[in-house]
Amino acid sequence: MSVPLQPAVEARLHEIGEVDLLVGIPSFNSARTIGHVVRAATAGLAKYFPDRRAAIVNSDGGSSDGTPEAVAAAEIANPGTILVSHALSPVHKIVTPYHGIPGKGSAFRTIFAIAERLKVRACAVVDSDLRSITPVWMELLLGPLIQQDFDFVSPLYLRHKYDGTITNSIVYPLTRALYGREVRQPIGGDFGFSGRLAAHYLAQPVWESNVARFGIDVWMTTTALAGGFRVCQSFLGAKIHDAKDPGADLAGMLVQVASSVFDLMNTYREVWPRVAGAEEVPLFGFPHGVGLEPVPVNVERMLAIFRQGARDLGEVWEKALEPETLAAVRHLAGASTLPFELPDRLWVRVVYEFAASYHRRVLPGEQLLRSLYPLYLGRTASFVLRTESSGADEVEAIIRALADEFVRQKPYLLALWG
Amino acid sequence: MWQFLNEIVQKTLTGFADRLAAFGPNLLAMVLILAVGVLAAVAVRVGLRLLLPRLGFDRFAQRLGLSVILQKGGIAVAPSAVAAAAVSWAVLGVFVLLAIGALNLQFAMDLVSRTFTYLPQLLIAAGLLILGSLAAGFLRRSVLIAAVNAGLPSARLLAAGVHTALMVLFAAMALEHLGVGRHVLLASFTILFGGVVFALSLAFGLAGKDLARELLERLARRRDEPGEDERRHL
Repeated sequence: MSVPLQPAVEARLHEIGEVDLLVGIPSFNSARTIGHVVRAATAGLAKYFPDRRAAIVNSDGGSSDGTPEAVAAAEIANPGTILVSHALSPVHKIVTPYHGIPGKGSAFRTIFAIAERLKVRACAVVDSDLRSITPVWMELLLGPLIQQDFDFVSPLYLRHKYDGTITNSIVYPLTRALYGREVRQPIGGDFGFSGRLAAHYLAQPVWESNVARFGIDVWMTTTALAGGFRVCQSFLGAKIHDAKDPGADLAGMLVQVASSVFDLMNTYREVWPRVAGAEEVPLFGFPHGVGLEPVPVNVERMLAIFRQGARDLGEVWEKALEPETLAAVRHLAGASTLPFELPDRLWVRVVYEFAASYHRRVLPGEQLLRSLYPLYLGRTASFVLRTESSGADEVEAIIRALADEFVRQKPYLLALWG
Repeated sequence: MWQFLNEIVQKTLTGFADRLAAFGPNLLAMVLILAVGVLAAVAVRVGLRLLLPRLGFDRFAQRLGLSVILQKGGIAVAPSAVAAAAVSWAVLGVFVLLAIGALNLQFAMDLVSRTFTYLPQLLIAAGLLILGSLAAGFLRRSVLIAAVNAGLPSARLLAAGVHTALMVLFAAMALEHLGVGRHVLLASFTILFGGVVFALSLAFGLAGKDLARELLERLARRRDEPGEDERRHL
């Protein structure tokens, strides 16, 4: 089914004809930050791809703060000062509202559709609230597609050791174990992908599902991995962006992420059981260290919720966990010895058993995954306590060890899956 | 004299034979209907015992929480067996009513007629109870999980309260539908529910005002606590 576009956008596409590169920016009320993102993308396209025709597409979800106007007004005041090459053709700007279910996925769908219409060779998508984006991101996200014929570029950010714990404890190790490729930030949010892959995304029947609302990031990564596309990573440095909703429901976030990954396990149930081991993918960019903002954590509160879960959620966990695993969790919650540690082996079992229970629908999905939250907090508290005095490399080794444990226990998941 | 008595006895016997001749077919029909009913009930029971597990009914029942309800009620057999038994008894019940109707007696006709008139109410009431039980179980679990995730100390008590309130509400609705003590029930429910809410308000407002303040302050503080930005977790 074709994606509806406004007549003005249709006319603009007709006028532009074809381009080589496209940068998509989904947005909703990002007037404060989107100008910087557009300027960085424009400068990056001009500097690193001066001989390519390019367009920037802002796919907006009905912002009321003047986001589209901010995109239209964003210009590089003095290109010479940032060593921008003289581009052969100007970077076209397209500002369009998206149609369909409100969400980042629908915004991306419009970007994919425009990419297909403009017959682009390579696309990149970047968040509209980024503060750390620089022109070089364009080279890092688009370069491997144009120069080395990769199909998907996954971002690799430098993050504080306590940052991204859902990624580190669930999404990264699970995706690596399932699909056998080392993609460190499967839900990074800023990606590069070929025109071929954009057309493949567009053809998938997911645009009326939760992918349109949330979960587009992991869906894009997984679809590329499961579809056998050529995947690589690019080191983008630190990712700093506006925190829009500090009071958001964290358990809800966990549900969204976990349900997206588990749903994809069902979609690709013919693919992942045949994958064994995990291999590296090529890494572009120049990894370097930067000062990262410290992330304060409240271990006491996490442990309190974990222990309360073990005390009160028995009837729910009994449906999700195997008796042996549940007994181990209860034992751990009851033990008063310090330091508290939820070992890798147990955590992997918890995740695999929840995935299998979600697949078997032993409970309504949202209830089941919300009950994972205390366990996740227990695991996070354990990780924080274990890495209190660890440096970045040591922490990365610990995360890698967990990922290896996921791979080792994959036969257990297969047995549970049935 | 003997002839007179003989005539009376003859008349009585002839009358009985006539009535038996008239009533006999009805009796035979009743027996036949009952026999068919028993066979049908057995067939339905056996059929459902075989079919329901294959259709995944037990898994479905487990997911809905019916298995737990049955276990709590001391029923140790599979939900599919319970459903098969219930349907087969219902089938037998229908045949018994039809059999009584076949007798063509006034009281039997009245009984059948009244039963069939009352049956929809009974079914709706049963439906309300089942729906209520499912809704109460679902909400109890949701409240329990949400309360644990929010770190509320009395999560189980809160969940049990929601469960009980919903069950009482649905039981009251079912009884009201059956017309059992309609006014008494309505008044009792209103007084009970209003009383509970009033008592809770008083308890929370007077005796527990410090606790209420502390809870609200803790909730407000938690929003500002570090490490809660979801992006840090993603």
